[in-house]
Amino acid sequence: MKIGIIGVGCSKFGVRDTTIQELAFEAVKEALDDANITQDDVNISVVGSVGTRNYELMPAVPVNEYCGFSGKGPIRVESACATGSSAVYTAYASIASGVAEVAIAIGVEKMTEVETPVSLAVGGRAGNYLWEFHQYGTTFPAYYAMHASSHMAKYGTTEEQMALVAVKAHRNAVKNPKAHLQKEIDVETVLNSRVIAYPLKLFDCSPISDGASAVILASESKVKELGADAVWIEGIGYSSDTSNMTRRESFVGLKASVEASRMAYRMAKIDNPVNQLDIATVHDCFTIAEIIAYEDLGFCRKGEGGRFIEDGESDFGGKIPVNTFGGLKAKGHPLAATGTAMVYEIVKQLREEAGKLQAEIKNYAGLTHNIGGTGHFAWVFVLRR
Amino acid sequence: MYIKSRNLLLGHKIAVNKTEKYWKGLEYGKIYKTVCECGREYYPPQAECSFCRKETEWVEIDGYGVVETFTVVQSVPSGFEWIKAYTIAIARFGNVRVMGWGNESVKVGDRVRAYTQKDESGVWKVYFEVV
Ligand SMILES: [Zn+2]
Repeated sequence: MKIGIIGVGCSKFGVRDTTIQELAFEAVKEALDDANITQDDVNISVVGSVGTRNYELMPAVPVNEYCGFSGKGPIRVESACATGSSAVYTAYASIASGVAEVAIAIGVEKMTEVETPVSLAVGGRAGNYLWEFHQYGTTFPAYYAMHASSHMAKYGTTEEQMALVAVKAHRNAVKNPKAHLQKEIDVETVLNSRVIAYPLKLFDCSPISDGASAVILASESKVKELGADAVWIEGIGYSSDTSNMTRRESFVGLKASVEASRMAYRMAKIDNPVNQLDIATVHDCFTIAEIIAYEDLGFCRKGEGGRFIEDGESDFGGKIPVNTFGGLKAKGHPLAATGTAMVYEIVKQLREEAGKLQAEIKNYAGLTHNIGGTGHFAWVFVLRR
Repeated sequence: MYIKSRNLLLGHKIAVNKTEKYWKGLEYGKIYKTVCECGREYYPPQAECSFCRKETEWVEIDGYGVVETFTVVQSVPSGFEWIKAYTIAIARFGNVRVMGWGNESVKVGDRVRAYTQKDESGVWKVYFEVV
């Protein structure tokens, strides 16, 4: 069973003065145009939205209606920051099961309708509310900060190395007109910014963004019928871990990431990711998360993630360019839109349509790595054109 | 142009009957975990084992723990407006890890003693003191 991606769309990320349905429409319109199909060709829609920060608490139906899909779903999915990937998986599964030939996965999030302390309090509930946030005020930056403290203590990872992740992200985002933060920064900018949750500072954190993205998938026979230049989903991996951080095996990596990537690699027959993949987009909601992702995904050995960024291995011309569109860190991280935007990025790269951000494509294979929470959910896709 | 939504205030009543021993224990300076005859230990405690599906037993956590990680939260979420910054640490006590608030000088590897206290918002919880 081969399932291909025939259309992708992505809105501008940032503080957006639109409703959630208008925002979703920007991405859907682009994806339909990209696939050169209409709503009539789509059998089912999947709407991913975490949805706790926007005024429309159950946004799937308004989004579906505005995008012209009433009567076709919607299936609403939610997996925290990995919602977009579970939307793609649900669309994939509906085609694989034979109930649909063409399915659309929409990821949309409006995060800027509430104040920052409220957003922090909502995000902190993505772990285990009663046993962690209620008592200890575990915000999301705090969770990743604890991963950072542990990684620093065990492997000597430095704040400068983490800052380099942000510097790379901002450098790329400047050339991505859809990115939220379009300003170059240096290591000093990061180190001198105010502490959010030690050791993470403001510029170690992804911004609070609105955004939408959409991915249209089709069965192999439909791809042929449409004569589409599809990007194929060759590998899918998923896993999850405990809601309580105290119940994790370790804090220096995300077990769910490791498991999801190994599952996707097996399915796509990848045994040397850095050599067999041209490009990757990884979940860098905080700078430490990207360093940990290099290790968990097998781009380098455990504990060497700090060196990997320092040596430029994740930049253009390095072993594997990572987060070429600016990453969550600078492109923005509108939760549910992130997974679908990762697929958008890799599809653009594999089609060599990435303009000033085009990476060198030799194997025509790329990877997306999308984490929900702090490894509460993990999704890895291997895509090939 | 923006329109302000009608306010929605969400306050939940959380049923803690199955873990009442833990919440009461905090008020007497006791911190409980639960253990199952299959060998699994639970912290936070839970009244039944998720795997062998039997009832667990309540056991007090005491002695010293070792700090495995920590952070100092300086960007405070709503619900915690009453405090400027706080340190969250996770320490290992035998087979379980415990989350607690510590003081700013806590470091990975520190030996700590756990105690309980009510915070300014009236919530009882675990605190760590470096020894
Ligand atoms: Zn048991």
